[in-house]
Amino acid sequence: MPGFDFSNYNRNAALHARGVPLPKATSTGTTIVGCIFDGGVVIAADTRATSGPIVADKNCEKLHFISPNIWCAGAGTAADTEFTTALISSQLELHSLSTGRKPRVVTCMTLLKQHLFRYQGHIGAYLVVAGVDPTGTHLFTVHAHGSTDKLPYVTMGSGSLAAMSVFETQWKPQLTKEEAMKLCSQAIEAGIWNDLGSGSNVDLAVITAEKTTLHRGFVKPNERTQKLKSYVFRRGTTAVLNEKVIKKEEIGNYVSVEELAEEVPSGDKMEVDT
Amino acid sequence: MTSIGTGYDLANSIFSPDGRNFQVEYAVKAVENGSTSIGIRCKDGIVLAAEKVITSKLLKQGANKRIATVDRHLGIVYSGMIPDGRHFVDRARDEARGWRDNYKTPISTKDLAGRMGGYMQAYTLYQSVRPFGITAIIGGYDSELETPVDGEVGSGPSVGAGGKVEGKKHGGPFLYMVEPSGLYWGYYGAATGKGRQAAKAELEKLDLSGDGESTGLTLEEAVKEAARIIYVAHDDNKDKEFELEMTWISGADGPTKGRHQEVPEALRKEAEKYAERMTAKDVEEEEETKEGGDKMEE
Amino acid sequence: MEFGNSGVLSEGADSRTTTGAYIANRVTDKLTKVSETIWCCRSGSAADTQAVADIVQYQLGLYEMVNARPPTTQTAAAIFQEIAYSNKDRLTAGLIIAGWDARHGGQVYNIPLGGSLHKQSYAIGGSGSTYIYGFCDANWKEGMEEAEAVAFVKEALKEAIKWDGSSGGVIRMVVLTEKGADRHLYLPDTDYKVRHQ
Repeated sequence: MPGFDFSNYNRNAALHARGVPLPKATSTGTTIVGCIFDGGVVIAADTRATSGPIVADKNCEKLHFISPNIWCAGAGTAADTEFTTALISSQLELHSLSTGRKPRVVTCMTLLKQHLFRYQGHIGAYLVVAGVDPTGTHLFTVHAHGSTDKLPYVTMGSGSLAAMSVFETQWKPQLTKEEAMKLCSQAIEAGIWNDLGSGSNVDLAVITAEKTTLHRGFVKPNERTQKLKSYVFRRGTTAVLNEKVIKKEEIGNYVSVEELAEEVPSGDKMEVDT
Repeated sequence: MTSIGTGYDLANSIFSPDGRNFQVEYAVKAVENGSTSIGIRCKDGIVLAAEKVITSKLLKQGANKRIATVDRHLGIVYSGMIPDGRHFVDRARDEARGWRDNYKTPISTKDLAGRMGGYMQAYTLYQSVRPFGITAIIGGYDSELETPVDGEVGSGPSVGAGGKVEGKKHGGPFLYMVEPSGLYWGYYGAATGKGRQAAKAELEKLDLSGDGESTGLTLEEAVKEAARIIYVAHDDNKDKEFELEMTWISGADGPTKGRHQEVPEALRKEAEKYAERMTAKDVEEEEETKEGGDKMEE
Repeated sequence: MEFGNSGVLSEGADSRTTTGAYIANRVTDKLTKVSETIWCCRSGSAADTQAVADIVQYQLGLYEMVNARPPTTQTAAAIFQEIAYSNKDRLTAGLIIAGWDARHGGQVYNIPLGGSLHKQSYAIGGSGSTYIYGFCDANWKEGMEEAEAVAFVKEALKEAIKWDGSSGGVIRMVVLTEKGADRHLYLPDTDYKVRHQ
């Protein structure tokens, strides 16, 4: 039968009616921030990826490349931030190629918001979009439902409250690059220490009109150090009940063995051109 | 009989080497053979008039209307191939409705003329179609009043909106003519069809612009003149009988209250009497001068 | 909220955007330009209202190019209403349209949740509006001058911010006249007394 198959829909509806809960989407607790300074913009992120209560990755990358002068920090569903930023990056490059102009941050933000709005929040991407283009320095947040905000400093993710407290107490207009970098990394650290969903290191990117510098592991406050004690179990901790050694020749008694004919490489057969 | 010719006249979308589209020119010929239509734009309204040649005694009098209403405030009259005209009017109705759906307000005469000009022009571009065998006259009265958004509730402050730019005129009567090429212009008076030359000569004598010291023709006067011009234009075609069909559009405070309507029978009859009287007088004068001329020769 | 009369049309809004109990943006600009002298005031879902305003801005830009004249407030209101009504099941959008044009002067249209269209002398909307129905009814009068209108809008917004937990932050305003759009900003630091920018 041609057309769509709705049997899975019916199955899911039946399961739901019997009280089976819906599967939970893999969502990363995260802290991401961005801050404009005199001459550019800084974005930063922590590096913890979680899957429920499990730390899935201790050093993942949450700063996504859009174009050389535009970068994105992503929170929410990891796969969604990864693929959404990749998709828009691709569209923006093609657009840039066809217009012969450098990509703009507003263009990126508009593509993102229209894509996310179309999916009515089902694509769980919460993004901080930052960049420098011929029209100036820009910083935006884009929420999964497609709303956007334009602000001088922004935070997102589960650690956004902790990070915002840093900005709200320490931010001032006309920051230098170094001040902005420090402020952003402190905001991420606030997330790392005070938010369970955030942790490990600080990744940070500085975008100016001249260049973009990605500082992977800008701060690493959670390095694994030498354990104070050795936790290796002593030999003999577990009792040996019996011992048996099998020789290679006898292996056929335990599993089926098939001899493989040795392949003879033939120069003639490989010849294609004559 | 001429031979097949150059071949540049066989299809649309092919230019002749000197830059002409013969198909469009043939369409103009079709119009030139059609019965006369005119439109008059005077200071307080629009009059559309058509000469309806009676092709058979079996046709009911006053039936088979030639002037169509497109929207409440819009009318179209055309000369040439009548079925083409009917399709043109259908399209104009679609455009007017489409505009209302989109913008919740009536389409302006200018915008309709623009849309219809574009539509006509499209039929000169493709091999698969032929141009329209009509020239259409579009008349309309765009409301001078503030038009509400269709479906709005309430009316704002009782003193009305503030901050309007004073002394600016909005709306009014408008007249456009669209040719088979898609070309269209705005006119004070427009004429097309077989009697267009005579009609144009008469239209030019009327005071339609209302510029300077002149007061300009009134709508009622324009109705009479329209009737007369159709009679004059029919003159060369005397042996055939015809009916006069006339519509008019006034402003909201005029006799049609901004609507496109047929001219009432009483007024039409009066106009026709006036037209007969005037054309008869013209003939007399002509004959007198002829006699005079003869005498001079003697 | 918006207000229009007497050659002046002034539209104002607070600046709070919330996600649950958290203020996602304390200096939001809810006054959105859709053409030079037609602006809208957004309330409801930020994503929905931004998407609708973007579509209308595009449509009006196109209208101006195709028809070689700026759109009227009626045109803008008609397009907003069509979108709001035909997508009523999918949208959470309360919109107030305010515009000035040469033919009609200053006008205010209100489009509440179901997508109906109301022409009003002044319009109030959003969560804070419930607290200022009385204030507006008592203080609005016909034919106010620009300064009076600005003061009326500002006082109304101050009341809304005072009583509504979901309203707050700065007061933004736009005054629409023949001269174009004039933007106002008032900060809570100075008790909304001083005009900034």
